[in-house]
This record gives sequence, C-alpha cells and structure tokens, in this order.
Amino acid sequence: MSTDFILYLLLNTALVLLIAPLFSGLIKKVKAWTQGRQGPPLFQQYFVLVKLVKKEVIYSPNASWVMRAAPLVNMAAILVAALFVPLVFVPEPVGGIGNIILFMYLLALARFFMALAGLDAGSSFGGMGSSREMSFSAIIEPTTIIVFAALAIVFKSLDIFAMFAGSLATGTLATPTLILIGISLFIILVVETSRIPVDNPETHLELTMVHEGMLLEQSGKNLALMELSAAVKLTIMMALLINLVIPAGLALTLTTAGILLAALLFVLKGSVLAVIIGLFEASMAKKRLFQVPSLFAMAFFFSTLIIIIEVLA
Amino acid sequence: MIPSPDTTRGRVATILGSDIPADLITQGTGGEIYIRVDTPGFSRAVSQLAASQFTLIGLFGVEAFGNNPGTSVLYVFEKQDHLLVLVPEESGPLPSIARIFPTATWFERECRDGFGFEFDDAFDTRRLFLHEPYPDGFHPLKKSFVNAPITPRRNISPADEYPFRKVSGDGVYQVPVGPVHAGIIEPGHFRFSVIGETIFNLEIRMFYKHRGIEKLLEGKVPDTCMPVAEAVSGDESVANATVFCMAAEQIAGVTVPERAWYLRTILLEMERMTSHLGDQGGMLVDVGFPLGANQFFVLREEMMRANDRITGSRFLRGMIRPGGIERDVPEAVISDLAVFLARLKKRYQAGLKIVLSTTSVIDRFATTGVVSRSLILPLALSGPVARASGGTEDTRVQHPYGVYGQYIPAVRSLHDGDVLARFTVKAAEVMASLDLIERLSREMPQGPVLADFSARDGYSLALVESARGENLCWLWIKDGRVERCTFRTASFCNWQAIEHAAQDNIPPDFPVINKSMNLSYAGTDL
Repeated sequence: MSTDFILYLLLNTALVLLIAPLFSGLIKKVKAWTQGRQGPPLFQQYFVLVKLVKKEVIYSPNASWVMRAAPLVNMAAILVAALFVPLVFVPEPVGGIGNIILFMYLLALARFFMALAGLDAGSSFGGMGSSREMSFSAIIEPTTIIVFAALAIVFKSLDIFAMFAGSLATGTLATPTLILIGISLFIILVVETSRIPVDNPETHLELTMVHEGMLLEQSGKNLALMELSAAVKLTIMMALLINLVIPAGLALTLTTAGILLAALLFVLKGSVLAVIIGLFEASMAKKRLFQVPSLFAMAFFFSTLIIIIEVLA
Repeated sequence: MIPSPDTTRGRVATILGSDIPADLITQGTGGEIYIRVDTPGFSRAVSQLAASQFTLIGLFGVEAFGNNPGTSVLYVFEKQDHLLVLVPEESGPLPSIARIFPTATWFERECRDGFGFEFDDAFDTRRLFLHEPYPDGFHPLKKSFVNAPITPRRNISPADEYPFRKVSGDGVYQVPVGPVHAGIIEPGHFRFSVIGETIFNLEIRMFYKHRGIEKLLEGKVPDTCMPVAEAVSGDESVANATVFCMAAEQIAGVTVPERAWYLRTILLEMERMTSHLGDQGGMLVDVGFPLGANQFFVLREEMMRANDRITGSRFLRGMIRPGGIERDVPEAVISDLAVFLARLKKRYQAGLKIVLSTTSVIDRFATTGVVSRSLILPLALSGPVARASGGTEDTRVQHPYGVYGQYIPAVRSLHDGDVLARFTVKAAEVMASLDLIERLSREMPQGPVLADFSARDGYSLALVESARGENLCWLWIKDGRVERCTFRTASFCNWQAIEHAAQDNIPPDFPVINKSMNLSYAGTDL
C-alpha cells in the first residue's frame, strides 16, 4: 500500500467526518428559509453532536447486545463505505476498495443493523420504522443495482475510483446520459438518506416515522453515532453524485495546492447540492407510504434507458 | 315569543304520536321542550324519536330535579330546529338506549361515573372519566360529595386495568400511542390494531385531564363563572363563555344589547378563524409540507395578535359576561380590524392557492380518513366534520342566536368526508367568517354593551356553533347560584367518529386524519 493511499484514507475520512454535519445543517437552513423562518444556526448539527456525546446512554430493559453493537457497526460500515467515494483526491485503487457492489452492500449492512436496533428495544414505533425501512430497502435494491449497472456500463468499470477518473478525463458536462444518471442518483440519494418525499427527517409524529422511528430508543453517544453516520451517508451519496456529474477540480495527484483547491470546490459544489436538496424537499409533501415505490420506478426507468442507449449506441 | 302550551303540546304530539298529558309538557326558556315521562313512556318516546330521525345531543344527570329526589337523567334530542328534553320521572335505573342511539354509550358511562347511576342492559359498563386510580364508589357529581382532594388507588393490578377491546388473529399487532405524545399536544391514548400497515381497529381512550369543572361551577353566582366556562376548552373560550351566558340570560330574561351581540359575534368568528387557520397549518405539517403549513401558521399568529389588540387576550378571554360584553371596543380598533382582515384575506387566498396546487398534498389529503355520512346521525357529529361528510346543519342557522338571524352564514357542505373535504370546508368557513366580520363591523350599531344582569332561578338549555361544531350548555340556577351546569362540546361526540375514520387507513396517515378533525381533549373531559 502506497503512502499516497494511506494519506488518502486519512484525508478522506477526516474530511467526510468534518464536513458531513455542515451539509445536513445547510439543508435544514434552506428549508427554514423557504418557510420564512430563521432556522437553526448553520453549525447547530455540530453542537448537537457534542451535546449528545456528553450525555449518558440509556438502554431499554428489553435491549440485547444488538442495541449496544448497532451504532458502532453502523458507523464502521458507513465509514468504510466512505473510503469508496473519494471526495477530493482519487488515488490508485487498492484491493477491493472502490468496488461499487461492495459499496452498495456496506450501506445495506449499516441499514440492516439499524433496523435490528429498531426492533431490539421492543417499542412498537421502532418496529414500525424497521419494518418500513426493510420494505423500502427490498424495493429500492433492484433499482440501485440498475442505476449502478448503468454507471458501470457508461464508465466501463465497476470501480468508483475509475468512474471518477473517467468522468474527470472526458470532462463531460451535461451529456444526456449524465443528466439521466444525475437524476437517478439524486433519487437514490433521497431514498438512502430518508428525506422528503420518502421520509420526513423533521417529524415529531412517531406513527409516520421510518428512519427516525428506528432511532427513537437511541440516546447519548449512541445517538450521536447514529446521527453522524446518517450525515456521513448523506455526504458520500452527495459526493458520488457530484464527482460523477461535475468532477471538475478533483485532484488525481497528491499536492497540497491541488487538494486545497479540490476541497474548496467540493464544499462549494456540495453546498449548492444541499441547497437543491433543501428546495426539492420544500417543494412537496411527503408521499403516502405506499406511493413511495413510484419514485423508485423513475430512477429504475432512467437507468434502464441509459443501459439501452449505451449498449445500442 | 313563547308559543302557547297548546301549540307546544301539539308539536310534541305530532312528533311522538302519543298522548302525553299537557301538564307534563313544558316550554323551556331556550326554546327547548321538556317532556316528563314514566319509564314505559320513556322507552316508547325513545323509539319514536329514533324513528323520526332525532339525534341524541346530550345526556346528563342532575340531582333533586323536579319531583324526583334522586338522580334524574335528562336526554336532549335535536332535529333541525326542534329541541326536546326527555325527563324520566321515576328514580332508579333506566334502560340503556345505547343500542338505539350509539352516541349514548359515552354519555351513559359518564353519567354512571359521575352519579353512580345505573343503566339496565348497557353493553359497555367500563368507567369513562374515572380512570383506575379513582377509588370505588367515588361519584364526584353527587351533591353528597364534597369537592376535596382524594386518595388515589396505588399499585393497580393488571386485572383492574382498563380492558381494551381484544383484537386477535393472524398478523394483528397492537400499537399503543400516548397518552404522552411527542410535541405539545393534549393527552389521549390510541390503541391501534394493525395488520401490516393497515389499521384494522382503533380504540381511543380520553379523559386524562379531568378538572372537575361541573363541580367547580356549583354554588357560584353566574357572574363569577366566566373564567371556569372559558377554561372548558382553551381555544373555544368565546363559544363556551357565550353558551353559558346565553343559558344564564335566558333564565333571567335579560335582553342583551344589540351592540354587545355584534361584538360577541365578531369574537366568535375570530375564534373560529384562528382555530381553522391552526388546523390547516397542522394538517400540512402532518403530511410533511412545512412550506405550505407556514402560510397558515403565520396568519394564525397574526390573528392571535389581533385578538390581543381587541380583547387584551390572545385567546379572546375576559370579554363575554352575562348581560353582554365586559367593555366596549373603540371604533378605531374595529376599523383597524377591518383593514387587517382585508389584507389577511388576500394572503389567505394566496396560501390556499399554493396548497391546493401542490399535487403531493392533494394526493395525501384525498380519500384519507373518510367519515361516512351515515355516521352523522347516530354519533351526533357536528361542525366541519359533519359538513365535510354531507351534513348541512350549522347551529348558527338551525338555532340562530344573537344576530345570526340577520346575518346568516353561508354553510358549505361537501360529500367526500375525507381530509381534503374537511380542509376545503374549513377554508370556506374562514372566507365566510371574514365576510361576516366585515359586514358586522360596517353595520355595527352604537349603544350600550352591557345590560343589567341579576340571576333569576330556573333552568335553560343553550346551543352555539364553536369552531369544532355544536356546543351545548345546560344550566340550572337555584337561589341565585349555580345548582348544576354541564357543557357538552362538539368534540365529545366527534371523537367517536375518529375510530371509524381511521379504519382501513395506514398509521402514517393517522396524524393528518386526527388534525383534520381537530378534536379537543379538554373539551371532552370537563
């Protein structure tokens, strides 16, 4: 393993952890602005995490080891998945890191443990959240596979690093395929990160919860881990979209100036995307639970279209 | 004008089709007709009333009423503008009428808790407002009970816990929600029996906030009752204060000055608008559309500030009192109000446009939480809930009080009975209230706002239309003091419709169904 790669591991993980709460804070802020509210401070997410870390953890008497392990497994899986998506610097791939299929199932592993934790405490809301999350994930999985297959066909590789490099090399901007990929990935992002119209991250109504329902029994440090991992997941999904569709500025070699520029550009592009996500969420109500698959169908349709275009072209 | 006893008797004879002696039929001061019956006569009358499509809108106990030294139970029936009160004369248990009038179930349970009065053949004999910690044999509405703190029962065994309806079968599981909820709302327990994501059955349990309001009012002179009447339900302060005053004024034979009625009506309509605006915002929050919700929440907040400017209270408290209005409202304030409401109307319409043109909102609202029209009569539903399900009744039209006889509000009735219909009916009512206030403030006469009020003895029934529907107050004054006073808010009856509305829906849609019906927990539990 080269020094470059070790540096990449440190740099990428540090950056994703550092920046993740900013993006989710920004989305909150944008949604507040659209409603004519001030909204929480931009850095509120960081304060919340610090506060939660200081608080004690309380376990339900019904909870087993799953409840204790889930936040750690969840965070670990998400952090490993984060290594698959270079934010600012694309190194030479090592081992299986960067494989898009593995990436997808790392996210699935995190979700699986989160759903187990939702069931573990024995509260009915957690169970409802878990059951809904698992139903969604069963429906979204084929869609995700098709979207990733489309990516693999377009970039002729299963490796995310190679896809980024390829996208950067061709310098593509807005070819029809990329627009379709962008839309598909955006839908995957919305579903994976439990946002409106699939789920409402801001609701206080337990009966309507999906992702939040599974977290109801979490507290203290464990809740902080869960919240942070959700923010990291959001950031890596955003990075996947950004670096495939507008990769400009992505560093291929490890130079301080290059990395700084790339980091700056990434924060900028990420912020723009966060604003778009915020506006998208504000523009509609949450879908009825059973209507959610129609959203997946759109991603499925676009990706199938890409595959047809690419295979026939 | 009070009709002569002969016509009154004639009307009763036409309805009941039986020969009840004239001296047993009396005309009340609020337009209601009291009919004293013996127990067989009672059963006959009840089936005749059911056959003629009367609704049971009230049922309450009262001690030492008329010739009966024990507990009498008064049954209030309504059909259009007819109001009949059946008073079974004999003491001792009465037959339960819950199988004929389903709305009687809660009423009878309430009466059993309050007075220890038994109903023969009742199918639901569980306690209602007295939860497990209340000791056995505790009946707070009896005169023999002195209002004082009690020693609650502790360590209640599982066998003594409230028995919910058992729902079993393949894949049925229970989701208990409440009484402590997320967010700042009142306590209530919802027991969902769910199959997958479909609500198979919902049972509600209310009455977690019993305050003893009826007992508290007893022995007070009417003037000092206002803070208590206003506290029946926080956002129905004006409606409940007005209905109490109407009952007291009818007994005393006091005519409220015209200007006072104009002002009362403005307050009643302001209260209705404030309530509807809050509901509409809440419904949009519950489907995850805060952008639309805030259009209404902002207007609601501005309404509450306007309330504060007129009355000094954001909840319009402290204005209504027996005889009229506590203090006159200056002309300048009223003309400012008209300007404010004209501006509000434009913004309200703009807000409605945003919401009703958002397909994702319509998709969530339409076909959700349907209250079928056939429930209106048996459950005595009223207000926007009934009017969104094909009901056409509005107390302001059926039993006009104050100036509603001259200013007849437009009644909007829809047939779908879903959340969208309730949203739309409320929107129409806000617009109608705006028009009404605009006309009232333009045509308001000058003059005094408070007539001399001195309590006289007697009893009376009064009805008003609150934001939630028909509110009822029955008041009995003896020796210048309240002997018995009871309220029945629209929520008491409308709550029971939610068990039907939720069926076959999915739990994530329940919050919006609940919000669209806007039921008061406090108003149900006096």
